[in-house]
Amino acid sequence: MNQRAHATSVLAKRRILETLISPGYYVAQTIGLVLAYLLVAGFVRAVDSSGFNYTLNPAYELIGRSLVGAFGATFVEKLFSEGPFLFTLYIAFLPVLLYLAVSSVFRFGLEKKVGALELLTYGPADGTSYFLAALIKDILMTAIYLVVLLLFLFIAGLLNNLILGPSFYYSLVILFFLSIAIYAYGIFASSLTDNSASAIAVFLGLILFFIIIMMGSFTVVSGYVRNLASVLAWIIKWISPLFYWDLALRFVEMGNWGMYFIGVALLLLLSVVVLFISHLTIKTRGVRA
Amino acid sequence: MIQTRNLTKRYGSFTAVDTVNLNIPAGEIYGFLGPNGAGKTSTIMMLLGIVKPTAGEIRLFDEPYSSKRLDLRRRIGMVPEKHPVGMWTWMTAGEYLQMFAELFSLEEANRRIDHLLERVGLAEVKNKKFSEFSRGMLQKLSFVRALLHDPDILFLDEPISGLDPFGVKQIRDLILEENREGRTIFISSHILSEMEKVCQRVAIIFGGKLMAEDQMKSLLTTLAKDREIHVDLEELPAELIAKVKKLKFVQDAIGAEKTLIVKVPKTGDYRKELSKYLIDQNLVPLSIQEKSLSLEEAFVTITKENINLFAGIGGEK
Amino acid sequence: MKVLRISAALLLLLCAGVLFADVPVREEQFIYSILAFNGKDYAGTFARKDADTVYLVADVDNFLTVRNVFVYFWPITQDWKTDTSALNIPFEGTLELSGREAEAQMLGMIPYTYYNIRGEYELNWKVAKEAEAEAAWQHYQELMDAYWQSVSAYYEKRALYEKMLNELTVTITKLRDAGNDVTALIDTLKELKAPPEPQYPTEYIVPPVPIQKAFILNLPVGEYQIRFFTQDGKIMEGSERRIVVFEKRRAEAIGLEVIPGDKWTRPVESKTPSSVLYIDGSTDLYIRPFYQQEYNDLFYEKMRKNDAKGNPNLMKWVRIQQVPRARVEVTRQAAETRMVLEEPFYVEQAKGAALGYQIVPFDPEGKHKDREPSLQAFHIPVSKDQRVIRLRVQDKEGQYLPSSERQIRVITPSRIGIVSLILAACPLIAMIIVMVRRSRRYTS
Repeated sequence: MNQRAHATSVLAKRRILETLISPGYYVAQTIGLVLAYLLVAGFVRAVDSSGFNYTLNPAYELIGRSLVGAFGATFVEKLFSEGPFLFTLYIAFLPVLLYLAVSSVFRFGLEKKVGALELLTYGPADGTSYFLAALIKDILMTAIYLVVLLLFLFIAGLLNNLILGPSFYYSLVILFFLSIAIYAYGIFASSLTDNSASAIAVFLGLILFFIIIMMGSFTVVSGYVRNLASVLAWIIKWISPLFYWDLALRFVEMGNWGMYFIGVALLLLLSVVVLFISHLTIKTRGVRA
Repeated sequence: MIQTRNLTKRYGSFTAVDTVNLNIPAGEIYGFLGPNGAGKTSTIMMLLGIVKPTAGEIRLFDEPYSSKRLDLRRRIGMVPEKHPVGMWTWMTAGEYLQMFAELFSLEEANRRIDHLLERVGLAEVKNKKFSEFSRGMLQKLSFVRALLHDPDILFLDEPISGLDPFGVKQIRDLILEENREGRTIFISSHILSEMEKVCQRVAIIFGGKLMAEDQMKSLLTTLAKDREIHVDLEELPAELIAKVKKLKFVQDAIGAEKTLIVKVPKTGDYRKELSKYLIDQNLVPLSIQEKSLSLEEAFVTITKENINLFAGIGGEK
Repeated sequence: MKVLRISAALLLLLCAGVLFADVPVREEQFIYSILAFNGKDYAGTFARKDADTVYLVADVDNFLTVRNVFVYFWPITQDWKTDTSALNIPFEGTLELSGREAEAQMLGMIPYTYYNIRGEYELNWKVAKEAEAEAAWQHYQELMDAYWQSVSAYYEKRALYEKMLNELTVTITKLRDAGNDVTALIDTLKELKAPPEPQYPTEYIVPPVPIQKAFILNLPVGEYQIRFFTQDGKIMEGSERRIVVFEKRRAEAIGLEVIPGDKWTRPVESKTPSSVLYIDGSTDLYIRPFYQQEYNDLFYEKMRKNDAKGNPNLMKWVRIQQVPRARVEVTRQAAETRMVLEEPFYVEQAKGAALGYQIVPFDPEGKHKDREPSLQAFHIPVSKDQRVIRLRVQDKEGQYLPSSERQIRVITPSRIGIVSLILAACPLIAMIIVMVRRSRRYTS
């Protein structure tokens, strides 16, 4: 086997084991599942004789009004047209996504600073095999959690006669690939910086920037904000994973499955490009802080 | 075994390593000395392939070396100054070593691990989390890790820093033992007294330049301006020092309690003449020892006076 | 005492402040008055001076006029309004339209009328321009004149009939009282028929509006610019506007209007084709399928009301018209599929002091004689033991309409709290197991 691939697999196994024996991953999962439970239970309480009415449940009223104010009534209508699960999917996924992404970025910076990364490279490993191992760990842990979440929501649906609609499934798939791109950006942020704090700041700054641009061009408030965000969005969109996520969802709404999968492929391609840039960066900057 | 030719590393306008030429034969314990910021770490990092040289070349095992030469990197082991703080704390010693064994695709890894742990006296703590290890235990574990893949060259960066005397002895014994088995050992350390005990050859780097490189004894002899003879006496009469100073081969003489310290030119052995003189004075030398320049003194001499032995004696190697 | 006086004075001032609350400030503005077709009918809006863009649907006639009016912000409904009763000065001139074509076009104001004729579908809008507009208006006038004439004739005939009825009745009574045979007269009375009421013309659903003049914009998709030239050829300051012409993305989808039995005046709409209707099963449903089209949310909202908000990145389904003579296929769990037809229903209010009502089938020959049905819809009986009801809409030819499938699911709130919480805690349980097992591996 190629030496880098071998080193990657050895390190990945250790990272996976480390994650599985650490409490953080389980706590993040629990937080996600509890949020999912609350959202499903709240939805059930907000259903009356004519259908879902978010004003019937305090939590949903807050959520509904906030979303309507920010993104319009059509957005909320579509979000809950198939039930609670689409919204629940995104909210319940966040804790685990944040945990895996931020902990990997933090870890990368810390290991670089204390010399652990350098220690690994005394042998056949290098910076690239190190971050690929972290990525493999994050992808696997994400996949495990999505399966757990899917099972949980399926059971919750069975108990309440709720159904997982088509939007849920194709959002689930695209979310998986979106998370890979986010992890890739975490690796990129880590390769640019020398310590955890800087890496986290760069990573969160990048992600927040993408979110703000995306939401800014999506919002119904203030034409000025939207116009400015739209101009920036046109420039930034090519490097923003949220752009490809949105693109894929739009196409699948149209029933255009071919373009949906192209959107997924583009998201994967973005991840590969970002990882390649990270590889070059770490090769140039080295593994020493 | 290890050769460098005009090895240079610049960070912007700052030259960390300036045309360093090393020649380390196989099977030696080679000491690499220098004050902080002299360029030791940069040199080591280049030799390990972690940092790319700005200029010059490195040859290992008579082959050109770069970080891409994984086949050559497999023949190197490295013990850093400190084990990375707080890393892999969830692992036991055995799991930690197993990870590195797998990285090197070692066969019969478990047997090798057990054997090495036994050698360094850590067999009983194989299943202990090494976050509970003491500094000395961590250093020995680091040694084991570096030796797992049976490297031909062992790089040690400050191997005894922070250890207690017992730990220092253990590491020293390990170094000597590994060298007896034929391993070339490259040590970088500030603790010159220890380096003096184990190194066969030393190099001194200062300001990025290699100032001296020679066999230990030769270096000390070269740098010594004169010789000191220490004579222990039953008693040291007050007028003895003045008389000794008048001897033609004596440059200077001082007394320290019951010891007479005499400085003589470094060419020639004057112990016999001095002994004869003292006996003639009805004094009984209890012991006569010649004290040569210590490595520390040599180091200070070179760095303080900016002596470059290559520019003066010996020339480029 | 002094403090009391000061507090009272402050309170009075506060009340006075409330009394003299802000009156909306009216500002004289040049506006574009827009009568735009929104896919189902024509609705009016206006673009005030701060609105730089006008939104119109592509390939349909839209009407623009320019005028000076008072514009003010109405805080109660949070929107801008015009006060045309106080000021409404229309301008005559030409409109320069530039955009897709290389050269700008100059458009003049064209007389027009629009109306909706009854046909197979409820909404059949027609726009007539110039001579056609005159003809259409004329035809409508003649139709209405004929109707009013027939109404007058009817009243005359009715009066005559009642006079004859009265006289005959009096005569019959007198002769019967005198002991005469009145059989023949009674037969005559029976044969006397009231004159039929004239029928209101049913040709139009929306009759033609009086002929007006406007700039008619029927444009393909794209972006354009307009500006207004007065009759003396000068550009009206502040008349530059951008025009965004958009089209529907998809059509032919089916939505459902859902009227719950306990809130029949507050229907909801299920528009998203893949949507699921979750209900609590406490009441029957009455549904009405409709055709819908998909438009950009922002563009559509602003086309209907120029200062509305919308999301430019979302598409919304817009109800166009009810599916005529549809049939709804209803499939329940463990039951046969059956067809449901549209039926009329009547809402009977509870008698006496009790509140509430019930929806019953409309009985035109019986208890609901001489009344109109409250609603016409497809009745879907619902009960809590029916977990899933599947619906599918057919058109009048029996063909299934695309994207008309819907599921109605009756929520069954269970004791999911315990079960779900246990499930949610499973990762923590796994964590404890893993950590305990791991700790056994270590030697201390």
